[in-house]
Amino acid sequence: MSFMEAFQIWLMAFFTLAIFSFLYRDNPVYRFAEHLFAGLSAGYYVALYMDTILYQQLWIPMSTSGEWWLIFPGFLGILMFTRLMPKFSWLARFGLAFVMGTTAGIAIMAELHGKVLYAIRGTIADQVSGGQVNYVLAAIVVIGVTTTLLYFYFSKEHRGVLGGAARVGIWFIMISFGASFGYTVMGRVSLLIGRVYFLYSDWIGSLSKIF
Amino acid sequence: MSFWQRITLIPRQWVYSLVWLAVIIPLIFPVSFKISTTPEAQKLYDTVEAIPDSSVVMLTFDLWPNALAETEPMTRTALHHLFRKNCKIVTVTTIPLGGPSLAERVTREMATQYGKVYGTDFVNLGYRANYVSVLKGMGSSIEMIYPTDNSGTILSELPLMQKVKSYDDIAMIFVVADNGIIDTWVSIVNAQYGKTIVAGVTSVMAPKLYSYYGTGQLSGLLGGMKGAAEYEQLVGKPSLAVIGMGIQSLVHFLLIAMIIFGNLGYFMMRRAKKGEGA
Repeated sequence: MSFMEAFQIWLMAFFTLAIFSFLYRDNPVYRFAEHLFAGLSAGYYVALYMDTILYQQLWIPMSTSGEWWLIFPGFLGILMFTRLMPKFSWLARFGLAFVMGTTAGIAIMAELHGKVLYAIRGTIADQVSGGQVNYVLAAIVVIGVTTTLLYFYFSKEHRGVLGGAARVGIWFIMISFGASFGYTVMGRVSLLIGRVYFLYSDWIGSLSKIF
Repeated sequence: MSFWQRITLIPRQWVYSLVWLAVIIPLIFPVSFKISTTPEAQKLYDTVEAIPDSSVVMLTFDLWPNALAETEPMTRTALHHLFRKNCKIVTVTTIPLGGPSLAERVTREMATQYGKVYGTDFVNLGYRANYVSVLKGMGSSIEMIYPTDNSGTILSELPLMQKVKSYDDIAMIFVVADNGIIDTWVSIVNAQYGKTIVAGVTSVMAPKLYSYYGTGQLSGLLGGMKGAAEYEQLVGKPSLAVIGMGIQSLVHFLLIAMIIFGNLGYFMMRRAKKGEGA
C-alpha cells in the first residue's frame, strides 16, 4: 500500500467518524467536516459546469467545428444572469422561456407516452391477465388507484360517497407510505453497513499493512 | 420510575450505540440468513441470460458516492455476469460526482479479472451534462453526445464504438441508479426507443419502480442491498451484499424490538396517566 493510498483511507476514515460524531451531539469536528463538504461540493460544481457546459458544449464546437450558431444559446444563457441586475432582470425571461418551452415539449411527450398510458394500462389490462388470484389482485389495485385519486379530488367536499371513498384511499396511501418507509430504513441501514464495513476492512485493515 | 417510563426515556445515544453494536458484532463474527429470490431479481437475471453472448450492453453508473453500499455490489455483479457472457460493455453516467470515477475504477478492476481490453471489450463514456438531452440524443447518435470517451480519446478511434452508433446497436440497458434518473430512462429510452431496460436501484427508490416493473417497462428490478444480494447469489458470486444482508437482518430485528418496546411504553404510560386521572 502506497503512502497516498494509506493517506486517502485515513482521510476518509477521519471524515466518516467526524460525521458520525453528530450522533452523540453537535460538535466542532462535525461542523468542520460538514462545512468542508459543502465548500468542496460548491467549488467542484462551479468547475464542473465551466468544463462540461461552457468549455465542452459551447467553446469546443464553436472553435473547432465552426458551429458559431451556438452563440445564440450562449447569449440566452448570459441573459439569465441579468436577474442579478433589477433594471434588466426582464431580459432573463427570454432564456427562461426557451428552457421552459423545450423542457415542456420533452416532458409532455415523455410523461404521457412513457408513464400515463402505461400506468393506465398497467392498472387494469395487465392485472387481469393470468389466474383467478390475479383477478382479486387486479380488483385491489383498481380500488386502490381509484380511491387514492378520489382522495386528491379537492373540487368537492369529502362527504357522503366521496368522503367514504377518500377514507379508503387514505388507507392505501398509508400502506404505500409504510412500504416506502420500510425500504428507506433498509436503505439507511445499508449505508451504515457500508461505512462500518469500510472502517473495519479498509481502515483497520490498513493498520496491519502499515505496521 | 416504572420500567415502561425508563423505556421511553432511553437517551438516543444508547439507541445509536445499540445499532452500531448490531452492525459491528456480526461483521466480526459473521452471521448468515437464507436469502430468498424475488421474481423481480429472477426476471432481471433471466433477461440478461436471454441476450445473445457477445451482445453490446450499456451499463449505467448513475450513482452518487453516498449510496455505494447498495449500488457498487450491483455494478460488480452485473460486470461479472456480462463479462462472463463475453458481452461488450459501454458505461455511461448522468451523475457528475462519483459516477465517472467509480465507473472507471470498477470496470477496469473487473476487466482485469476477465482479461478484457479497453476499447475493444469495454468503453467508459463518462459524464455529459443535461441528462435529458444526453438520453434522448444517444437515440440519434452517441458520437454527437460523446465526441470523446471519459479519458478524452476520440470515439472513432475505439474499435467497439466504431460499431456502436446509437441505441439500435445496443441489446440491453442495465441501469444502476440511486436517484430519479430511472424515470427518464424509462420514459424516454424504453418508451420512445423500445430498448429493454433492467434496473438495480437503492431501497429508497425501489417502491416507486415496482409500477414500472408491473407494466413491463422494466424487465427486471433489484431493490437495495437485498436485491444486490439476490443477484450475487443468482450469478454465483456472493460478495459484499450477501455479507451485508446478515447484518441487515440483525439490525432489523433490533429496530423492530425497539419499535415494539417504544410503543408499548407509550401505551402503558398513557394508561397509567388515565388511571391517575380517574
